[in-house]
Formats: sequence, structure tokens, C-alpha cells
Amino acid sequence: MTLVPVTYKGGIYQHDIVIDLIEDLGGYIVQKHVLAQEVVLQCFVPKDDIELIREISRPIFGEVTDSPLVGTEIAIVSMSLEIHHLPHPSCDIAEYARRIGAKTNMVSLARGPGKRITGLNDEERDVINEHDIAVYLMGNFEACIEHKMPILLRGIEVPVVVCGGPDKETLVRIIDPPVEGYVGGVGRFMRRTKEADQLDKLDEIIAEITRVLEKKREDLAKDPLSVSPARLMNLIRERVPAILEVTSPTPLTVQMAGLRVKLPYDTFAPELRRMEIEDGITLGDIAEVVPSRMRDYIIVRVLPFSETNIVI
Amino acid sequence: MLAVEYFEVECPEPVGAEYYKQITNDVLLDHNLLKVIDKLHVYIDPKVPVFIAVGILKPITTVVRVGDIANINPQEGKMTLVITDETYLAAMLRVFWERFGKDRVEQPDRFTVILYNVTEPASEIENLVIGHPGESLNKDLIYAFRCVAPEGFRLRSERFEPGKFSFVASENTLVEGIDELVKAKFALMGETP
Repeated sequence: MTLVPVTYKGGIYQHDIVIDLIEDLGGYIVQKHVLAQEVVLQCFVPKDDIELIREISRPIFGEVTDSPLVGTEIAIVSMSLEIHHLPHPSCDIAEYARRIGAKTNMVSLARGPGKRITGLNDEERDVINEHDIAVYLMGNFEACIEHKMPILLRGIEVPVVVCGGPDKETLVRIIDPPVEGYVGGVGRFMRRTKEADQLDKLDEIIAEITRVLEKKREDLAKDPLSVSPARLMNLIRERVPAILEVTSPTPLTVQMAGLRVKLPYDTFAPELRRMEIEDGITLGDIAEVVPSRMRDYIIVRVLPFSETNIVI
Repeated sequence: MLAVEYFEVECPEPVGAEYYKQITNDVLLDHNLLKVIDKLHVYIDPKVPVFIAVGILKPITTVVRVGDIANINPQEGKMTLVITDETYLAAMLRVFWERFGKDRVEQPDRFTVILYNVTEPASEIENLVIGHPGESLNKDLIYAFRCVAPEGFRLRSERFEPGKFSFVASENTLVEGIDELVKAKFALMGETP
């Protein structure tokens, strides 16, 4: 059964029918937002059953759309949190990616700005590596990007998409070592992205992120994970009641090959490792439970089939 | 950009120059500073690296009076002022306190000020000067150019004189010959520093 990420949007009236249906079909709800009279569900559903969900949600005016970024955690790497980069373009891009289902975290570098002084410390590197993909928002000058990128890419293991002022061809030429994705014409700017051409640029960034993530998904499919992170999320929600007390918007953040659990590591890591998934197989058998560099959260990295010989 | 007579951004990278022209325009527009600038030349070289902004300012002779920000309604024994623009409200209150004393000035809500037992006619109150926009201009310009300049350029040298200014910023120590460069940029606008 192939699960595909979709977003369901509809009225609050009878939306539990859709939730039940998705769960009965073997899908998972990653996030549920209730905004006044509207419900937005970000979920994984079986590919063959999308039409059925559309059919059933039609009388209650629900709408099902593809959201390739659901179930991914994206690091938007901003050079600093100064007015030079915020709220435009960093927040605009982060918010746009969030709108179509991604969970974005903004990572701001302590020594991001400048050319000679630029640097990446170990904490920043580790935080970026905890995500599925990193989107670097660079400035407008070729000379700076060329000089800075090798330093800012040191130790980064996740796929990277670079956005910068020069055009795409120039970015491809100057960035060494090469990265997975490039978007030209999006450097530093000091105005809100609301015109059609600016929104097209944001769409271009999303398309590039999606392309890179699709490739990562294909690579993961070659050696499937021992358990789907979305399933793991549901299990943790059932078996670790403390997660229900967490006030963060996404106490369990689904990633492509793991999960961020927003509970203190020291207290809950042993409990998570002991948690039984099925037939005596515990989470510790099929995943690594490691401390996150972000606060004292827990990162669960699901191991592939080739390492565990188990798929559940 | 109609109000500015001369506006150029010079940079060895043409694409970068275009972006920085847009950024400069947006920032100055946001800070309401375009109307005070007559000529502006920005030079950026990311390779050195250096950022130079030189400009000629329009003379600011206007002052803000009570009548500009409030409507006065004289009544028996008191005068009610309805505030239309809060920017100079604090400055206006300070003038009133000094002139009439705090016991005769009351502000029941955000947009209303009442003066009690004022003998002066309403026209005189209307003409009271409460602010000089030119006073904070240099501070505003420095802040605006700090936003325009690339963020890593933290070593700065600013020179603000009546009618003209220069703003130099770099990531490295400013070289000695920088004044010559500033002079050359002024010359491009047909001016002298």
C-alpha cells in the first residue's frame, strides 16, 4: 500500500466522518488544524483511495489536494534574524512552505552575515542535519555566495536548496561543492511578496524543494524503513500519554525517515525505546532514539530494512 | 522615485546593483525619507568589501504646529483637542505641560486632549510649534542606510552635515583612501563633499 501526502480542507460539520474514513483506510493524520469553521487535515492516505475520500467528502464540501510536503520538516536557513532578512524574505518563504503542508523551522546563523566573518558552528550544523532538507537563503552578490557557500555547507549531510539573487545558471556555476537544488532571482529584498511575479518565484522554490524531496523519497523507497514514521506517530500518541500534555503546535513532528518527539530526552528516551510496536518488537529494535540539538527534544531515526530485517 | 533628482546604484555586479536599487528605494520609502533626499549615489563593491552612500538633502524648513495634528474645539472654560496624528502627541503634551502646567492639561483617551482655563485664543494654540522634523533626520537616515547596507558591513563611518551626507560601511577596517572614494562619488553627482 502506497501512502501519499494530501491535505483535506472542509467545514467543521461532520469532518469526523473523513477522519474515521482515513483511519479505516489505513491512512494517518499528521496534523489537524481547526480554524473557526474550517478544518485542515494534513494526512497520508492510500493512493488508490483518494477518489473514495473525494467522493465521500463531496456532500460535506470537503476538498482533497495533493501536498507533497506533508510529513517533511524543512530548515529555512536565514543568515541572521536582523531586519535585513526578516520578515522578508525568510518568513515569506517559510510561511509559504508551511501553507502546503511542510513543517518549517527557521535556523538563523550566529555568524551568517558578511563574507570574511561568516561561519557555521557545530550546534547550527547539527540542528540543520536534523531536518529533511535545508533551504539556504543567500544574498544578492555572486562574490559573497561563492565565498560563503563552501563554509556554510561544511558538515551538512541533508539535501540543500540554495536561493540567491543571481540567476540559476550563475548559482550552479559558482557554488562549490554542488548542492541538490538552486533557485535564482530570490536574494535579499525588503518588500512583501504579494505581486504575481513574486508569488511565481515562491512557487518555483516550492517546486525545487519538492523535486529534491521526491528524489530523497525515491532513494528511501529502495531500502524501505522498518516502520512508517506516521504510524509511529500514532503509536506514540496512544502509548505515551505525556505527549498529549505538550502545548507545542506539533508535539510529534513527522519527518521522512523519523520523528521529532517534543518531550525531554532524559525522562522519556528509555520509555520510548521500551515501547512495543507489534509482536514484541520494540521501538529500540527498529529505530535510534537520540537527543536532539533543538532544546531537549528527542529525535527518533527509523532504521531501514537492510539494517533491522524487520518491516512492520 | 519622482521626488529624487539623481538616484544611482553602482556595483561591479549589474544584477546586484539592480537588487540594491530596489532595496534602497523600498527602505527609504518605508522610512518616509525619499521626500527629503535630492540626490543619492550608492556604491557597493562586495569584493573589497565596501558600501558607500552619498547624498544631497533638501532643506527642511517646515515645523509641526498643534494645528497640523489636532482639531481644536473651544468650549466654555476648556478647549478640546481631537488628535488626528499621534506622531507628535508626546511632544505636544510636553509643550502644554510647560506652558499651562500639568493640572490644566488632561488626556482622557488616546485621541483627546483637554486644556482647562486657557485664556489664549484657539488660533494661538493652533500655532504653537511642537516639533522639528529635521532634528531627527540624521538619525533616521543612519538607521535607514544600516538597513540598506549588507548586514555584515558593521564598521561604519558616517558624516552628516546640513544639506549633505556620506555613509561608508565595510566588513573590514576602512582603508585610508576612503575619503577620496567618497569625494569621487560626490563628483559623479556634480557635488563636492
